[in-house]
Amino acid sequence: MFDDIPILSIIVFLPLIGAVIAFALGNNKRMAKLIALIFSAITLLLSLLLLTEFNMSTGTFQFTESYTWIETLGISYSLGVDGIGLLMVILTTLLCFLAILFSWDVEKRTHEYMGLMLVLEVGVLGVFMSLDYFLFYIFWEVVLIPMFFLIGIWGGPRKEYAAIKFFIYTHVASLAMLIAILAMYFEAKPMLESLIGHASFGMLDIALVSGNFSYIFQVAVFGALFFGFGVKMPIVPFHTWLPDAHVEAPTAGSVLLAGLLLKMGAYGLVRIALPTLPEGAEAFVPIMLAIAILSILYGAFASLAQRDLKKMVAFSSISHMGIVLLGFATLSEIGIAAGVFQMFAHGLITAVLFMMCGVVQHKAGTREIPLLGGLAPKIPIAATFMTIGFLASLGLPGMVGFIAEFSVFAATFDAFGWLLILPIISVAITAGYYLWALQRTMFGPLTDKINLSHLKDVSWYEAAPLAVLCILIVVFGLLPGLAFDMIRPATEIVTGLLGVI
Amino acid sequence: MDLTAVLPEIIMIIFAAVLPAVYLGTKNDKMVAGISIAGILIAMATVGQFLWNGASPVVFENLLQLDAFSALFMLVFLIVALYVVIASVRYIEKERHLAEYYTLIMFATVGMMVVASATDLITLFVGIELTSLSSFALVGFRKKDKRGAEAATKYFVIGGLSSAISLYGISLLYGVTHTTNIAEIGAVVGDITGLGPALYISLVMLIAGFGFKVAIVPFHMWAPDVYEGAPTPIASFLAAGSKKMGLVALFKIFLIGLFAIKADWEIAVAVIAIATMTLGNIMAVNQTSIKRMLAYSSIAQAGYILIVLPIGTDYALMGGIFHIITHAFMKGGAFLIVAGLSMSALGENIADYKGLAKRTPLLALGMAILLFALAGIPPLSGFASKVVLFSSAVDASMIPADNWMIWLAIAGVLNSALSLYYYARVVKYMYVEKGPESKIRIPTTVAIAIFICVVATVIIGIYPEPIVDACQAAATAFFA
Repeated sequence: MFDDIPILSIIVFLPLIGAVIAFALGNNKRMAKLIALIFSAITLLLSLLLLTEFNMSTGTFQFTESYTWIETLGISYSLGVDGIGLLMVILTTLLCFLAILFSWDVEKRTHEYMGLMLVLEVGVLGVFMSLDYFLFYIFWEVVLIPMFFLIGIWGGPRKEYAAIKFFIYTHVASLAMLIAILAMYFEAKPMLESLIGHASFGMLDIALVSGNFSYIFQVAVFGALFFGFGVKMPIVPFHTWLPDAHVEAPTAGSVLLAGLLLKMGAYGLVRIALPTLPEGAEAFVPIMLAIAILSILYGAFASLAQRDLKKMVAFSSISHMGIVLLGFATLSEIGIAAGVFQMFAHGLITAVLFMMCGVVQHKAGTREIPLLGGLAPKIPIAATFMTIGFLASLGLPGMVGFIAEFSVFAATFDAFGWLLILPIISVAITAGYYLWALQRTMFGPLTDKINLSHLKDVSWYEAAPLAVLCILIVVFGLLPGLAFDMIRPATEIVTGLLGVI
Repeated sequence: MDLTAVLPEIIMIIFAAVLPAVYLGTKNDKMVAGISIAGILIAMATVGQFLWNGASPVVFENLLQLDAFSALFMLVFLIVALYVVIASVRYIEKERHLAEYYTLIMFATVGMMVVASATDLITLFVGIELTSLSSFALVGFRKKDKRGAEAATKYFVIGGLSSAISLYGISLLYGVTHTTNIAEIGAVVGDITGLGPALYISLVMLIAGFGFKVAIVPFHMWAPDVYEGAPTPIASFLAAGSKKMGLVALFKIFLIGLFAIKADWEIAVAVIAIATMTLGNIMAVNQTSIKRMLAYSSIAQAGYILIVLPIGTDYALMGGIFHIITHAFMKGGAFLIVAGLSMSALGENIADYKGLAKRTPLLALGMAILLFALAGIPPLSGFASKVVLFSSAVDASMIPADNWMIWLAIAGVLNSALSLYYYARVVKYMYVEKGPESKIRIPTTVAIAIFICVVATVIIGIYPEPIVDACQAAATAFFA
């Protein structure tokens, strides 16, 4: 069905067309919203259509396209997805669509807001599809600009500080990654010239010869890549941009930041760093393990201490992305697959959580946990969604978060034995801060510290995305095979390359 | 005598000389600008034709050579002159001596073109002086403007001093090698065993003399004052054109003339390059005037390009040429936007740019694109050229003896990150902060010039292949 059409390019650049149209509709807010919604919906449908043609039994890249772009430097425009990439692409199109719907009440500079959301979608989709390092880096950086504006224009009181901090932090990390990419390019250049006749930025080309990279080179480059991707994930101690950015970002911005941008870092590790530099990965296992456990515990303890609901969720993201890293650190097939599944699970769950933070802020006028209380009888639907989201995030069996964490922990026990006790502690703390926060905001006696006269339940455009996400959380919790079947063949290839060690 | 190698220069000189007479006869300033644009376009066509044919004629007993390298730079300088002239039409229409303004721009451009094709230290020096003398007058063109007069004086004094120093360096080099032909100098220097003090002094003099021209640290202090005081289109001309001419001269002297003794100067130049980019960026962060900020950012960008000298490979030179080209559009365009806005009574402080996106959406978008390109954000031209430039340091560091060159790439990359702060700050002012609501309109001619720069920045970023190929051909011709 897609043999003759460049379907991935269409999916990537469709939102860009939508963005241009939305920008152009300066004065018509309603039209801008509709255009954004329609374009993101078509993109979502197209990405779901990919599933009909996707061959689940192989881990190779599918729907590939490749055109020479800058021949002199061996740069090509190459796209393709494997199971991991496709899962992330669908997560992206889904979350962008829902985030745009959720932003239906944005009245300030609506057309720019909608345009930027779509540009962001272009960048993230490009990252998950690129098979050329140069192209990958371009999409990677393109993501920064719309997010900078989303935080800077529609953010909270300290938005300017947060926007610049986000921009600089992640840009520095990207540059470390760029140096690493250039180093691989030049190291591979003589080998590729004798093998395929020209130097290349192609990921698959460089992977062909990366096994010949010297040990020291692999360790150094892996370190640079790990820093570049780690800041984005984020890992402790490079996480400090995240709470600031989240607290100040508008709700939909936070949803995409946590749901997608953090995944870019993890995706970079599993797509580039691990398979291309297996010996470097091996050398970094202790560091990855230590940082993963540190992030998991630090994120959990920091969440416990927060008064601001959104900041609590932001810190919990650090903890949950630590679990992704823990899965990768095992370097085993099941561990990496579980890490990818946790990326997917976290994308769904964290979207619910940040949307709920937005709802609470919007309806109650504050996110300060001590000021809230007993809201459930007043806003029962919102309270239901929040409960589902919190329970999913703390890893309640039957929901998607449980499967992800359980399989990561199982792989961790396989690889590192009783060291598992350390990350397991976080499960108890996570349950603690979520239940405590739920109890203090939604249940108990009704608060008298804030004016509740405007308090009303969720609107349709808020309820619909939340409902979709909650249904998916349960569906994938009960039938995790739907996602695992896509992930497993691709991780076999990743670990196959790691198998040389 | 076959004069084809200097045909573009001759065309420019004829047109430049005709301009005052035309103005005297017609008193029509639009016509004068039109004629100078026509002259520049004809010269461009001539250069383009040489580039197309691949011929490389020489002239005057091998004093000037028109090859792929010089032709490419001639085109760059002519394009800079073109957009500066277009932008100037309305900017200076109320001034006196209009015709001389265009004549001077064209003469300065001829000087740059001579430098691009010079194969001899004397022609090189003549070209530089022609450009310098013309630009002194251009900087002080608004005689009644105190800042302009101060800038012109400062520029003149520093310019004269630096010419004297570089001339002294050249004379010492001549004394040691008995020739002024750059390639022959290269051959003679390669044969000398044990450097005498004369060659070292000459080296220091050359670095200092050209260092002033290019405004590298620690010879950079004049640049922000001059750029701030000069008429803004001229600031654009200086940053995009005459500064790049200085870099071309440095390439010729160091990569051809003194290449054989590279080991003696590479560390010193590397340190200067890193100091230049770092100081330029650090100083840019705190500026309140946008022209001064752009001036310091120009210093930083010259620092990036300077890493070509210690690396010294074709690939590095290709990156340097590429960055010079992209920078000519990015920085030139940014200065022109400042010029256009100042004509609409907008101040030159960064704070005056608050809320600009509401007042003139297209211009703000153009500025944002140019600034992000300067910071090296993809997919804009500045990113592509920085990748080639910095990657040449990574490439060179693959050789064990040159391992340290990776630090040139790391310094460049860290500086790019630092520079993002002050570029993003301007974008933030334009888009995030609230300012006056009144709309701004700028003259069409300035808008056309800005449009050229922005479009070039975007297109080169998305499809750099033709430019990269041209740069590669130029680098190959340079080392041939």
